[in-house]
Amino acid sequence: MEKKSSPFSLIMQYAGSHNNKYVCSVILAIISVVCGMVPYFAVAKMVTAMTGHEDKDLSFFAGWCTAAAVGYIAKGIFNGISTGVSHTATYLTMKEIRLKLISKLTRMPMGTILGSPSGYYKDVIVDRVEGIEVPLAHLLPEMTANVLAPVLMLIYLFTLDWRLALISLITIPVGMAVMSTTMKSYGENYGKSVEIGGRMTNAIVEYMGGIEVIKAFSQSKSSYEKYETAVNDNAAFFYGWMKSAQWAMSAYNAITPSVLLTVLPFGFLFYSSGSLSAESFITMIIISLGLLEPLIAAMNYTDNIARVGTVMGQINDVLASPEISRTDKDRDISGNTIEFRNVTFSYDDEKEALKNVSLLIPEGKVTALVGASGSGKSTVAKLIAGFWDVNDGELLIGGRNVRDIPLEVQAGRIAYVEQNNFLFDETVMENIRKGRASATDEEVIAAAKAAGCDEFIRGLDKSYHTVVGSAGGHLSGGERQRIAIARAMLKDAPIVILDEATAYIDPENEAVIQNAIAKLVQGKTVIVIAHRLSTITDADNIIVMNDGAVAAHGKHKELLENSELYRSMWQAHTGTKGGAAE
Amino acid sequence: MISAFRKIWDFAGSEQKNIKTSIVLALLHSVFYALQFAAVFVILKALTGEDRSKINALYAFGIMAVSVIGRIVLNTYSQLQRVHAGYFMVANKRISIGNKLRTVPMGYFSKNNPGQMTAITTTTLTDVENTAPVVLVTILGGFINSVVFALSVLLFDRRIGIIVFIGMAAFIWTTSLQEKHSRKGAPERQRAQETVVEKVLEAVQGISVIKSFHLGETSDSAVKSAIEKSCDKNLAIEKQMTPYQIFQQIVLNLFAVIIMIVSAVLYKNGSMELADAVMMFVASFMVFEQMKSAGISIATLRIAESSIDKANETDNVPVMDEGGKSISLTSHDIAFENVDFSYGERKILDNISFDIKEKTTTAIVGPSGSGKTTMCSLIAHFWDVNSGRVTIGGNDVREFTLDSLMKNISMVFQNVYLFSDTVENNIKFGFPNATHEQVVEAAKKACCHDFIMQLPNGYDTVLEEGGTSLSGGERQRLSIARAILKDSPIIILDEATANVDPENEDRLQAAIEALMEDKTIIMIAHRLKTVRKADQILVLDSGHIVQHGTHAELEKQEGIYSRFIRQREQAESWHIAGQNA
Repeated sequence: MEKKSSPFSLIMQYAGSHNNKYVCSVILAIISVVCGMVPYFAVAKMVTAMTGHEDKDLSFFAGWCTAAAVGYIAKGIFNGISTGVSHTATYLTMKEIRLKLISKLTRMPMGTILGSPSGYYKDVIVDRVEGIEVPLAHLLPEMTANVLAPVLMLIYLFTLDWRLALISLITIPVGMAVMSTTMKSYGENYGKSVEIGGRMTNAIVEYMGGIEVIKAFSQSKSSYEKYETAVNDNAAFFYGWMKSAQWAMSAYNAITPSVLLTVLPFGFLFYSSGSLSAESFITMIIISLGLLEPLIAAMNYTDNIARVGTVMGQINDVLASPEISRTDKDRDISGNTIEFRNVTFSYDDEKEALKNVSLLIPEGKVTALVGASGSGKSTVAKLIAGFWDVNDGELLIGGRNVRDIPLEVQAGRIAYVEQNNFLFDETVMENIRKGRASATDEEVIAAAKAAGCDEFIRGLDKSYHTVVGSAGGHLSGGERQRIAIARAMLKDAPIVILDEATAYIDPENEAVIQNAIAKLVQGKTVIVIAHRLSTITDADNIIVMNDGAVAAHGKHKELLENSELYRSMWQAHTGTKGGAAE
Repeated sequence: MISAFRKIWDFAGSEQKNIKTSIVLALLHSVFYALQFAAVFVILKALTGEDRSKINALYAFGIMAVSVIGRIVLNTYSQLQRVHAGYFMVANKRISIGNKLRTVPMGYFSKNNPGQMTAITTTTLTDVENTAPVVLVTILGGFINSVVFALSVLLFDRRIGIIVFIGMAAFIWTTSLQEKHSRKGAPERQRAQETVVEKVLEAVQGISVIKSFHLGETSDSAVKSAIEKSCDKNLAIEKQMTPYQIFQQIVLNLFAVIIMIVSAVLYKNGSMELADAVMMFVASFMVFEQMKSAGISIATLRIAESSIDKANETDNVPVMDEGGKSISLTSHDIAFENVDFSYGERKILDNISFDIKEKTTTAIVGPSGSGKTTMCSLIAHFWDVNSGRVTIGGNDVREFTLDSLMKNISMVFQNVYLFSDTVENNIKFGFPNATHEQVVEAAKKACCHDFIMQLPNGYDTVLEEGGTSLSGGERQRLSIARAILKDSPIIILDEATANVDPENEDRLQAAIEALMEDKTIIMIAHRLKTVRKADQILVLDSGHIVQHGTHAELEKQEGIYSRFIRQREQAESWHIAGQNA
């Protein structure tokens, strides 16, 4: 019971101000149920009059038929409004949940979000939440109505004849007993079904994701066979499971609502022994017909409860995940010197990505971070950019601990340029203007010129008004990168972080990108992560990272003399470097 | 509605017979359901006739027992047929999609994300599995049931029977009315929903941009207003639909009341017997039940229909004629003879001709968009040429089966795909019979051995799907090891894609050099060192070969190549100046 109640308390919590709508919907549903019982009483009245050979005139029948009609109409209207209100409350609740999730995203470490597959949050915010619409909208009013109606009718049956009323309940435990025979193996089968379904999904994902490789390596036959087997196994398993469980489900569905199975024979026995009047008996038959419909409907809700529960669990996982801890006081920083004091950081609480790192990045200088992959150089850059909070130690910008400055202030001082730059599904103009919302068109175009993208932008279908981004625009990686650089130029932030920004993303246009970057970094505090050591030999300071710690730092020449690690990196680099340096 | 049934029916394919059986069994099921009337009738007859003999109780119980047992048996088999149809028609569709992918032009996958197709094959088809057969059997079965009910009422009393039929017709009319209206709102609702998806994806993927450019508020408001708008749309549709839903509910019930009135009148004027009239009162509650549940399922029918439409999109994927022969080659000379190729309307290659001698290195140079990648992929028959021909060892690539062609070619892909299998099996993917020693040898040549040995289980470590646990360069080198083991005489590679892991550039270069030993090489070149060493250089510009020769020859000519060389020299010697410099 504990498990079943929790999704509802969660929903109530999210529904917030819409709770009264649900209450209203339930009340309407109850009214609808009561109205829906009127026709049964009307018919019972008419039939008992007929079988009792009372000589009623047509107006008697007309009266009760009208009552039945009014009951039906009222039932329809109240039920319709109840479902409508409940749907409204559900849509509003879904909206609240989505807005909560969205605002949660802004408080989570950026790194957590960027580290998840891009579809994950969309899946939770859009699809998962969508999935609760139908169960939630129908659950409360209909569940109430469908449980309440049989209960009310039963109470009435008990007032007519308690023995027969009790007997009418027999089919319920019998049906459940039959059903429970399959529940024993349910857990086991469910586990297996998840496994086999998962295997099929993996086979499909691999076959489709790897189809190029599969074809290129002439493995389409064997891979296809694997795929086919997984698909067939899945279908066969589910069918087999159904085959073993179906008869019990069918029995449950047939027996449980068949109250007539007991009411008819026992009622007749009571009648023939004289302990039950024909009138009461007929009334009870008619009323028990009314038990059927809601009982069948109520049976279908157990699934829905489970589904809502699962979804609420997933939503809660997101809402309960750790948040970035920053002050919300509006404080500014003076100066752009960056300092790490004994900083320790771990992505997963297992392996420390940075171990007790202390380093200084002076204002107005170019500092290069070098080291092997996994050495921690990217982590240093990401911490400066505010993707994560440090676990231990202090990160200071302009002499102030970043925990004491709002993330917006920190982010506002930094331009972070990486290989994969995100563009919004808007025009080129608007994408660049994101750098500074107040920039005029002329300023945007000037930034684009400086970043070397004016020319190709003018070659696009609608020039600066071409829509780019995920949906269309067919921009190459290098073109996207230059737009991102233009955006950063417009922002004119005092600290510039270049995260592998000069890598071979678009070799044809590498020189243009390099020129753009040279303009971007002029006069700034620059932190550059670069693989090609030759690009950073002139840096004011080079920090050599190794295994989450600072191994050495200094200028290129000093490091060549003092650091064996740097020397070997330099040799490896110059060994492969073709071209002018030779 | 009929078209939706048609779609499900066509989709069912070889499972149609199971659906048919299921519907027939559902029909029989309804006969047993209707037996309840007989039980009630026996009792009513006895009551109105003042017959108190206890045998009537036994009759009623007997009939009810037969009804229940019959329903259990028929429902079990009807459901099983239906479930079989559901699971296997979807399995068949999945298999046919998989089969189709074998004949899709290779190039299709470089242009289209396989994610879409994966989503259809997994999620969308699961929706079909869960909805289509249920809906078909419930609705068709429900309607047929109702007709059987109505017919039995008709036999019982013609006048009431006619009312039942009119009631059903009226219900179908209101249902189709409701259906029409809900269809009207659907596209708008869908669009609002799509906007939410777009904005949420933007807010998630662009989170670093949003934060660093202070876009928190504006972007938040974009997502929020999308969510608000989608909610408003839903509310508006709900409001609009409510009267129809009420109307639909009331219609059948009003006909139930009409049955009561007519029965009462007929009883009063003596043209209907007491027991019959009572029976009709009772029947008024049950006769429309099946119809109602069929009506409710129509909403699900719409879901099933749209899922099937989406699944059928996979039918539009292009296929290539796979009628090739298995050809084994003695020479690996490659030739383009007057090749034209367009992608859609856009002409990519225009009358291209050149020869590549076996065991030589050809470097392809040119600005982005000049057709370099397309030219390489035509060698592997990723696409069919529009005119002219591409030959290997004198045979047109179109004459090969894909397998016999690809045996000769290794491509170093832009996107390295690793399977969630062991490292060893990933390396020997193209050569399943390789021994462990051969695998290790290839891994050593590709500079993978060291990092593989550092994995928890060495060569037996199982990789995550897509190989995400490895760095870009490690994945790239594993794929090179795979190609080394495959040992194809022709190697096609793009130097830029081989540079995904700049930190280990030296090791990647060593791996590529190991792969290229003694092979026919076609590479899209970016490094000066590579072009200098190439046996021939093809310079492409807007789909034409504008220069052709060796480095020494081309260097002296003023043109794209000399510009390329100057740019590369500049780019490769570029560095970020210190601020004090």
